Amino acid sequence: MTEAAQPTLAAGGESVGRASGWSRFAEGSGPGYLFLTPWLIGLFCFTLGPIVYSFYLSFTRFDLLTAPDWVGLENYRRILTEDPKFLASMRVTFLYVLFSVPLKLAFALAVAMLLNKGIKGLTLYRALFYLPSLLGASVAIAILWRAIFSADGLINQLLWSLFGINGPSWITNPKYALWTLVALGVWQFGSPMIIFLAGLRQIPQDMYEAASLDGASAWRQFWKITLPLLTPIVFFNVIIQTIEAFKSFTPAFIISGGLGGPVNSTLFYALYLYQEAFSFFRMGYASALAWILLVIISVFTAISFLSSRYWVHYDD
Amino acid sequence: MSFHAKRRHFVAGHIDRRQFLAGCSATLALGLARPALSQQQRLRMIFWGSQTRAERTYAAADLYMKAHPGTGVDGEFLGWNDYWAKLATQTAGGNAPDIIQMDYRYIVEYAGRGAIAPLDDFVGSTLNVADFDPLQVDSGKVDGKLYGISLGANSVAMMVNKAVFEQLKLPLPDAKTTWEDFSKLAAEITDAGIRRGFYGAADGSKNEQIFENYLRQRGKALYTADGQIAFDAADVAEWFDMWAKLREAGAVPPGDIQELDQQNIDTSLLTQNKVAVAYANSNELVGYRKLNKDPVVLANFPRLTAESKGGHYRKPAMLFSVFAKSPNQKAAAEFISYFVNDLEAAKVLGTERGIPESSKVRDALSGTLDETGKAMLAYVSGLGDLAAKLPPSPPKAAGEVLIAFQRTASGVAFGSQSSSDAAQAFVTEAAEILKRKT
Repeated sequence: MTEAAQPTLAAGGESVGRASGWSRFAEGSGPGYLFLTPWLIGLFCFTLGPIVYSFYLSFTRFDLLTAPDWVGLENYRRILTEDPKFLASMRVTFLYVLFSVPLKLAFALAVAMLLNKGIKGLTLYRALFYLPSLLGASVAIAILWRAIFSADGLINQLLWSLFGINGPSWITNPKYALWTLVALGVWQFGSPMIIFLAGLRQIPQDMYEAASLDGASAWRQFWKITLPLLTPIVFFNVIIQTIEAFKSFTPAFIISGGLGGPVNSTLFYALYLYQEAFSFFRMGYASALAWILLVIISVFTAISFLSSRYWVHYDD
Repeated sequence: MSFHAKRRHFVAGHIDRRQFLAGCSATLALGLARPALSQQQRLRMIFWGSQTRAERTYAAADLYMKAHPGTGVDGEFLGWNDYWAKLATQTAGGNAPDIIQMDYRYIVEYAGRGAIAPLDDFVGSTLNVADFDPLQVDSGKVDGKLYGISLGANSVAMMVNKAVFEQLKLPLPDAKTTWEDFSKLAAEITDAGIRRGFYGAADGSKNEQIFENYLRQRGKALYTADGQIAFDAADVAEWFDMWAKLREAGAVPPGDIQELDQQNIDTSLLTQNKVAVAYANSNELVGYRKLNKDPVVLANFPRLTAESKGGHYRKPAMLFSVFAKSPNQKAAAEFISYFVNDLEAAKVLGTERGIPESSKVRDALSGTLDETGKAMLAYVSGLGDLAAKLPPSPPKAAGEVLIAFQRTASGVAFGSQSSSDAAQAFVTEAAEILKRKT
């Protein structure tokens, strides 16, 4: 496709011979596109194609077994006006985002600052602390989490042997289930930590030296030097982590057995979307849910960007 | 002449309560290798199940290929949950396998949308169901046309840890046991305090099968023939109340313990050694016995009163259907016929998919059945007045109603709603789900 289109583009309407077409192609950006082909095929077939199709599907009723049936805005209308599960899943997801993102970033920053003290074996510690993030979204860890927080899990065994407390089954109790997932999210602090660590390294040491000479406490140095200079990094992490948190799926899926239970307490938005699509075969409705999620995430990202000029400090 | 590649299918799957277990749930299930003969036609088959089922199924397919040179049969199997997502996707793409294992819950949906083929034309010639009980043939019919061939019969059952009852010198529940007797038995087991956190029976309040059994004993049902709910809020409220009383008496565990049961054999509270009685399908006895050290026996669900009857029914544990767009429908029908009638195949298949429907197969098997097989056969054929006729297959949104039912029942168990409020909310929600189109 690229090869065929290239000579006409390059020649601008002139009639081009085969040989000169080839040389133009070879000298122009042709080879570049040629090398990009695998990626372009991936983009058009597996990313853009499905995105466009899902947008179309969001206006249809589609159960996979029969052809899509155009229903206009009906899916969106139902989601926004009369879907209690949409509201329930929004509530769960917002709670999760609201608590997991700040806690995770605070934790990541704290660990990054500890690691930035110039300790020996930094690379090893960095790798160790990053490990949970590599494993975190995996099925294995979700199963492990379930084992740790279940009735006879590690937590309750500790509570029993240390304090004689008979703990609840955290993971299967609607009061606590979401918070165990927040804890799981916070535990995967690795990637923001690495980025914070890189950011901390960029802060000139002479600023701290000057501040110490002036008698500023470590606490004051943190608020007046570290944090302001780190705000671009914080900003980046907030955006990335918020998007990730909104899309969170695997832990809730595994831990609740795919149902978002107990009593919808872990019905994350992505899990509800999956349920509609693959348990109830409402692909159209699920597509509409996906587009609404996109809008929600976009709004949050836009808010972050708009607010950034009030709190993000760039050097220049 | 040519190198015959061996086909292997690795499919990870959840294991559902309907399935037998080979061992543990998260294992990779490995399909058996099969030689690709110089085939004139190749049949594809898909089913849900465990490693045990796969081994037996492929062994039967190998026998078929030996008897029918020129036809190859490829198989693929998944766990229950993944199965339906994959099958729906394949059906949408028009490339579903020729032979599809079908469930009574989904047959209306698939037949109604023209995804599976009517088999009536093959009956009598390629497809032999002459030795089936006619009622069981009818269980594969939708709107008078035959869409599925039952692979075995089962019924719902209680899985009872016999060792616990013997240790406490309590009588095992039997055909005369009422819910009142059963509650007392369960409470006694809990009170005996065999170990910390051990209860008499699992909480069945969110189990649709016991609920259905309960409704049928009250002369109601889950669904009417035209797919509407066939019970009212009062039935549901009394149901929730019954379990609330069991919970108060300590006969069943509190909500958060019950939720540990993810509705498969390996997370069942019986297997987790937290209760002495759990609820399942009779054919799952194989799986329960494999995973439990203590001896497990079958018992029917209790009666509401000494006179109540008809809660149980014999149902097709699963069926085989043929993909509507399959170019090999006749060959597929022939394979199914072999699968349910051939005595050699029956030997390797055993009662793993329930009690075989063909009387000839049953007779041939009866001598060779192991103790588990005999127990299942005795249970399913010995239900007597506890069993009545098969209900119409559920409407297509039944799966969603079930999820709503489970959520509501959990809410009651956790005390977030009263029985009557929950019952009213559930009946309203179920009606809405059933009438929803989008």
